Amino acid sequence: MTLSSFGAPFLPEIVLLAAVLLIFLLDVLKVRRIELTGGIAVAATLFALGLIVADLGFAPLAFLSSIPSSQIDQLPAVGAAPLYAFTSLGLVFQAIFLLAAFFVCLASTSRPSDERGSPIFYGLLLLATIGMLLVAIASDLIFLLLAIEVTSIASYLLVAYTRKDVRGLEAAMKFFVIGALSTVLSFFGASLLFGAYGTTNLYLIREAGAAVGYPILVLLGYGFLIAGLAFKVTLVPFHAWAVDVYDGAPDDVSAFLAGGTKKIGVFAFFLVFLGPVLVVGTVGQSGYGLFGGSVALGPSFQIALGAIAVLTMTVGNVLALLQKEMKRMLAYSSISQAGYMLIGIAIGSAPALGGATLQVFAHVLMKTGAFLVVGAVAALGVGPLIEDWRGLGLRRPLLGTSFALMLLSLAGVPLTIGFVSKFVLFSAAVQAQGWFIWLAVAGLLNSALSVFYYARVLKVMFFDAPPVPSSPATTGVMGAAGPPVLPVGGLGYGRAATIAVIAAIIVAFGIYPQPVLGAIQAAAYHFVTVGA
Amino acid sequence: MLPLLSIILATLLVGTVGTFLSGTKARWVALATSAVFLAEVGLLFMSYPGWPGYSGSLVPGFSDTETYTWISLAWMHVNYSVGVDGISLIFILLTAILQIATVVYSWGETQRPAGYFGLVLLTCLGCFGVFVALDILLFFLFWEAVLVPMFFLIGYWGGPNRRYAAIKFFVYTHVASIVMLVGLLALVFYSGATSFDFTAVYAAAHGMAPVVQTFLFLALFFGFAVKFPIVPFHTWLPDAHVEAPTGGSVLLAGLLLKLGGYGLIRWAVEVLPNGFHSAQPLLFVIAFLTIIWGSVLSLAQRDIKRMVAYSSINHMGIVLLAIALDSSLGLLAAVLLMFAHGVVSALLFMASGSVHHQYGTRDIASLGGITPSAPGLATMIMAGSLASLGLPALIGFPAEFTAFLATWDALGYWVLIPLAVLVVTAGFYLWMMQRMLFGLPKGVPEHAHDIPWYEGAGMGLLVALTILFGILPSLLVNVIVNSPIKGWPGT
Repeated sequence: MTLSSFGAPFLPEIVLLAAVLLIFLLDVLKVRRIELTGGIAVAATLFALGLIVADLGFAPLAFLSSIPSSQIDQLPAVGAAPLYAFTSLGLVFQAIFLLAAFFVCLASTSRPSDERGSPIFYGLLLLATIGMLLVAIASDLIFLLLAIEVTSIASYLLVAYTRKDVRGLEAAMKFFVIGALSTVLSFFGASLLFGAYGTTNLYLIREAGAAVGYPILVLLGYGFLIAGLAFKVTLVPFHAWAVDVYDGAPDDVSAFLAGGTKKIGVFAFFLVFLGPVLVVGTVGQSGYGLFGGSVALGPSFQIALGAIAVLTMTVGNVLALLQKEMKRMLAYSSISQAGYMLIGIAIGSAPALGGATLQVFAHVLMKTGAFLVVGAVAALGVGPLIEDWRGLGLRRPLLGTSFALMLLSLAGVPLTIGFVSKFVLFSAAVQAQGWFIWLAVAGLLNSALSVFYYARVLKVMFFDAPPVPSSPATTGVMGAAGPPVLPVGGLGYGRAATIAVIAAIIVAFGIYPQPVLGAIQAAAYHFVTVGA
Repeated sequence: MLPLLSIILATLLVGTVGTFLSGTKARWVALATSAVFLAEVGLLFMSYPGWPGYSGSLVPGFSDTETYTWISLAWMHVNYSVGVDGISLIFILLTAILQIATVVYSWGETQRPAGYFGLVLLTCLGCFGVFVALDILLFFLFWEAVLVPMFFLIGYWGGPNRRYAAIKFFVYTHVASIVMLVGLLALVFYSGATSFDFTAVYAAAHGMAPVVQTFLFLALFFGFAVKFPIVPFHTWLPDAHVEAPTGGSVLLAGLLLKLGGYGLIRWAVEVLPNGFHSAQPLLFVIAFLTIIWGSVLSLAQRDIKRMVAYSSINHMGIVLLAIALDSSLGLLAAVLLMFAHGVVSALLFMASGSVHHQYGTRDIASLGGITPSAPGLATMIMAGSLASLGLPALIGFPAEFTAFLATWDALGYWVLIPLAVLVVTAGFYLWMMQRMLFGLPKGVPEHAHDIPWYEGAGMGLLVALTILFGILPSLLVNVIVNSPIKGWPGT
């Protein structure tokens, strides 16, 4: 007996929506204890995660499976125009999104329990997550863009939810204006596609392209779509907002934005360009979505996306090298990591798709974790500059070691998941042969470059002496020499546990990636060759 | 059968971690680890055909192999796959010898000893891994793992110009690694192997088009050759060797340079025969250039350590020449040469390190007549120099003789070039000895005394081996020729 016999394919979304309503209801009733609202959010995301993992075929949780396996990875009937479709790759992305939401929710339970904003924070975060889940099952352009809007609107509000912080307000304003622009571009692109093909269904659009060809209207439409989505994924030259927003937003929100929400754009790219083509004959391993199916669209767009990927990696890395503030450095590194993901999209083969998905998974762990550590360190009273972190690794060994693991993983050092994801991605680039091999070279050179700024943080944290108070007067009557001692504890169990778990996963899957990698690759194969 | 290679890896790993954690007692942990490592390598030898005590049947190819699935996807299979043949065994022996010699020689290290000995062990762990890995990813992981500890050894314990040298070393070798990695990945996917395993790649690569093979060979060659180093990518070497602490120089010259030669033989020459053939003329040109350039530059040096460093370039040029001959005798010579150079250059770097400790300078011209006050040190310098110039009954002779024989077989009178260079080098070594060791004392302090016992012990071990294998090179040759290389009895 599984849940699927009750016929509730949207159960994860329903669970989250129920949690949102409950949290807002309790808010109205003036029940705002963070243990309660946070607990609801944690439980809801964990339960939804369990549902998704069960749907992916994880045997021990099979009883939770809510989607009949006969509905997963199926092509629609010829002529049908479904709004949504369940693909195993979409489910993988849902799981990744829920994981990010779960980590942020769990870590945030460690804030002061009298904070009035907590219901707003958790409610908005779960709302944004619902939008992300919907993105992962979209099969219609309008459905997709509306789902992105759900996430976007919730995240604009999240950036400003504290309402007191001027920097947060400014960031939210910038985020909103840029986000609105990106939405306009996307919808304009969609309308051009509709004008050319008379449909907004992604299957039918791809089918029409394979059958009819690609008039200039369509190329323009795809161009605008790429621009609109590029804002979401922070691709150069559409990246400038991201640093200010991640920098100005509350730390936990930055963790969710950089780790979670920007990945919806990656999956939107998958959906628009790489899904299966309905027409028999263009389906199969040789035909990867639009790139494999068409001579007209494939190479030119692939070269454009490849160029953007190299540009994004390089600009992100070079600017990260120049930063003095920890959060801004992480924001630029986040931009460069988006470039790695785009390599997979530009290649478009099933191995590359799998590599990009693994990179998304790895980045969720690394970047969410890193921003959560930043929040924890800020709570300890350490300043925003990288210099301020001097000696932190020795004063807080576990926190420092966890952060070091996250940075090493971002740099792609072996035995971390960040290495595995880059290795698979670059292998896929070489495996695709042709000019893609240069994407691997560019990616490898960028990884080498990125080592420098991550290593600099490690040096500051582990080799430099802790800061000494600037003048004796500030140390008060005690006048004790030596480094100031950080407050004991202060992290809270939720945040400490989250950081430790993330660090453990990074190493565990770095050493033995087969379980997650096997599942992702299988899903990627289904995604591009479904029904073949 | 006992998974001996994994046990050795585990030994080194535990020993390295233990060394890092054991503070001022680090040298004892390092010594114990090295001793166990050496004993285990002895066991490894006894179970390999060609070793005097071996009683089993002659099974050519890789022995002590272990394979466990690591990553398995539809398009990519990566294994934890290790194994040894005669060639890798020789390099493993070299690793074990140099590790224990370095640890003993550095016994007096007082500056953060835990870090120093830990990094020495980590470097040797990486080299050992490179020599046993039979999977491309595993090979690359160990290859990179060597880089990091050496970077810190140079950057923290090195001489006055250490930061520049460390970064130059890192950038040169890392860029080369990246080219090599792309070449290795292309080797897998262009040959259609899908498996990263050596045997699978080996089998699949022979079917590739000659043009593709040539490009792949050049990519791999570049990656390996920067480690060699070849002219014109050699400039990292003098800086790194001279600035590194003595232990670091020993490992650099003794082991790290050999990674390039070993990689070239294992992963490029045998795997891509057609690519190798079309690149052969280029290899000859580079080899001759490297031989001549290395020796000319070593002539011009006043600093004894710098002189030894440049003579390393010269020797590795002969190794490249021997490999490029594409004969089984040439390959044998290359392996012998690398072993000999590993021992002898380690000895010479230790000796020049001792000169620096004793007299505060390494300038040949400002020193003289050190023999009366430091007979031990003088003996070591002399033994190393004589071995390096190829005196019979020392290890350099059989190696160089084989190399010149193979060159004569393949190229005829071209052999006169390396021979002439050898004469020049020999002359310079003799002149250096004459000025530094003999004559009236110059630059020697009033109460000068001989080197400390541990430095003498470290060098003495190497001198003993130089003599042993110089008289009995068959101990090595019989093992090497059981490797799965065409033209050898083992195949």
